[in-house]
Amino acid sequence: MSILNVLSRTKLYWGLIAIFLIGVLGSPISSKGNNIFLSYGNLLDVLRQVSTTGLIATGMTAVIITGGIDLSVGSLMAICTVVCAMLLTVPGVTPAVVLGVPTVAVTALCLGILATRFIFLNIEKSRAGSQATHDIRLDGVRGLVTPAIVGVILCSLVLWFLLPQVGSKFGVLGVLLVAPCVGLLFGALNGFIIVAGRLQPFIVTLAMMVTALGIARLTAGQNNAVLPVYTGSNATADFEMLRSLVFGVIPMPGLFFLGAILIYGAVLRFTPFGRYVYAIGGNEEAARLSGIAAGRVKIATYAVSGLLAGVAAVLYVAQYRQGKPDAGAGLELDAIAAVVIGGTSLMGGRGSLIGTFCGVLIFGLLSNILQLHNINSNLQLVLKGMIIIGTVLVQERNAVDLLFYLRLPGGKAARKETTAAKRPSKETPSLNLGGNKK
Amino acid sequence: MKRRDMLKLAAVGAALLTTTALLTSGNAYAQDKKWKIGFSQVTTIEPWRAQFNKDILAEAAKHPDVELIVTDGEDKTEKQVADVENLIRQEVDALLVSPKESAGLTGVVQQAIDAKIPVFVLDRNVETKDYTQFVGGDNKLIGRAAGEYAVELLGGKGKAAGNVVEIWGGMGTQPAHDRHDGFHEFTDKEPGIKYLLDQQSGDWKQDQAYNIMATALRNNETIDLVYGHNDPMAYGAYLAAKDVGREKDIKFIGIDGLPNEGVTLVNNGELTATFTYVTPGAEGLRQAIKFLNGEQVEKTITLPTEKITKENAAQILKDNGL
Repeated sequence: MSILNVLSRTKLYWGLIAIFLIGVLGSPISSKGNNIFLSYGNLLDVLRQVSTTGLIATGMTAVIITGGIDLSVGSLMAICTVVCAMLLTVPGVTPAVVLGVPTVAVTALCLGILATRFIFLNIEKSRAGSQATHDIRLDGVRGLVTPAIVGVILCSLVLWFLLPQVGSKFGVLGVLLVAPCVGLLFGALNGFIIVAGRLQPFIVTLAMMVTALGIARLTAGQNNAVLPVYTGSNATADFEMLRSLVFGVIPMPGLFFLGAILIYGAVLRFTPFGRYVYAIGGNEEAARLSGIAAGRVKIATYAVSGLLAGVAAVLYVAQYRQGKPDAGAGLELDAIAAVVIGGTSLMGGRGSLIGTFCGVLIFGLLSNILQLHNINSNLQLVLKGMIIIGTVLVQERNAVDLLFYLRLPGGKAARKETTAAKRPSKETPSLNLGGNKK
Repeated sequence: MKRRDMLKLAAVGAALLTTTALLTSGNAYAQDKKWKIGFSQVTTIEPWRAQFNKDILAEAAKHPDVELIVTDGEDKTEKQVADVENLIRQEVDALLVSPKESAGLTGVVQQAIDAKIPVFVLDRNVETKDYTQFVGGDNKLIGRAAGEYAVELLGGKGKAAGNVVEIWGGMGTQPAHDRHDGFHEFTDKEPGIKYLLDQQSGDWKQDQAYNIMATALRNNETIDLVYGHNDPMAYGAYLAAKDVGREKDIKFIGIDGLPNEGVTLVNNGELTATFTYVTPGAEGLRQAIKFLNGEQVEKTITLPTEKITKENAAQILKDNGL
């Protein structure tokens, strides 16, 4: 129980602490003799700068834990920024409305179904003692009529506030709701194709990345135009709020990021859903055989990934006062890197959102430090790449093996104690189900 | 077990020490400088932007009392905003920004102005009027110059006739629209000039322009003049014509006139002419230093354009040491 044990148990935070220390010790000193890196404003800048990547990485983490990958998030974010900016600035029936209204309708319908099912389930549970299991009214709830009515009511409420009065307070709030809905729908579509078509997530999301970029450009029109959102045109106080400091302390985007990490982290940690996610990543076949609805869980993770891309898009529009089809380009790779640095295995089954949080911050702090020192931007890329490799080597505890292969001091042959308990193996049991079904 | 942990600790410690040593040693040199000026560039990959950086660095070398920090936005709005925030934290005496987009950079430029840093906006404007100065070229002006010359090439005012292929830059970008409008102010007055393409965009890239031109060559028996919104696209069109052996009977006009690009092409006789779109790098830095030394500066400076043809191309190359 030495201090080293504690250290190795908290190895996730080492990288973060080390980067932070480097920042503090090596920080340039301002003209007033203050430490620039540690200055309050600088750290807030970092938190705000990483929040977009952070939100995307949050959704990505669960996807990667299930053993999948989502390459489409950057393009989904682009669509959402375009839809959001266009609804705020261009009056009349625009492609964004054509895209947004059905999305809200479908989302509201799904929410209606979920809500009524939830209520219905609870009613049935409470009546479990009575004999009336085939109550006429309950059959109505079980079907589609009541859920549909609830969904339509929800949907019309949102649209009521959305289109005619974008200038008003509710109108802007409505717009801010539409973008995440669009992301959610596209994300769910990703998951549906992967599960129903039994295709590789890599190729499906790659196709979606291209498709979504095209849709974003079509929506923006004028061949990839930037859609500026002028302050004072339609952006009201709510819009201002999204880039303000909450209580004068935390920037709003940062709060969203922290919130997403905490909520989704709790879901993955403490709910059955979270356990299913890990189980599917560990061994999908086994999970399926033990009665987990693997398909649904996977669709849900992709949908949440899309939803968070939508939230990131709203923050992007608020922050940069514009929506454009190349927003979020290359973001998926940054997010994947942050997730992997955070100790999540691309093989699935292993990882945590706290790790991702550290990974994102490591990335952000690193960029910040290198920039503060005005290191040549091309060299910065090289350093970033090397840091990613180094961190992952330490995370995966393979650094020692590598040293051994290179015949360097400190190396040891690959240890035999890579216990199965710590790392679930990825071998699928050879279930001979007949035929070449996979 | 324990030994490995020791090793790891030692490694992390060593890494910490070396990096801090490296970082702190790098800071000591810039103490004797009088002014610290930050410049936020969009990207360094595009040739015109690379020239822009060359110009500003060459100008900075002439002022030993200035420390110039150049950042690279990697062609992303997010990154550029982060760069500018970073420069504000570093308490630069003046800030030069060449925005990727007007809307995206407005907020952070305002932030710099609020922090009492004089801001010089280069090449593309932002949506606030509180900056110290704007320095940039005028694309409409250049388009006009190109249009005037095109009319001259096709037979002169009132008599000009021929088929023109215009290859657009990015469709949604202001520079492309300005270069188009300026050009047409002259050519639209000539009834003899016919336009063969309806708004084909090559997205500023040579390869896309090649494909557009290849199609145009297949569809049209005679093409007299190609107007590319920048030199690489004009050159791409030239290559397409060359590959079908028709480059001799077509005139090619480009824009930008970078020494190692457009001027060289004109000098080789591949392009007929190009019009310089001068980078505001050197002028912007000169103005900023002027301002820091307490002099008055104008609110807007428009940079002139220059026509480059076979006659003067060699001289310009010589001046730039090529």
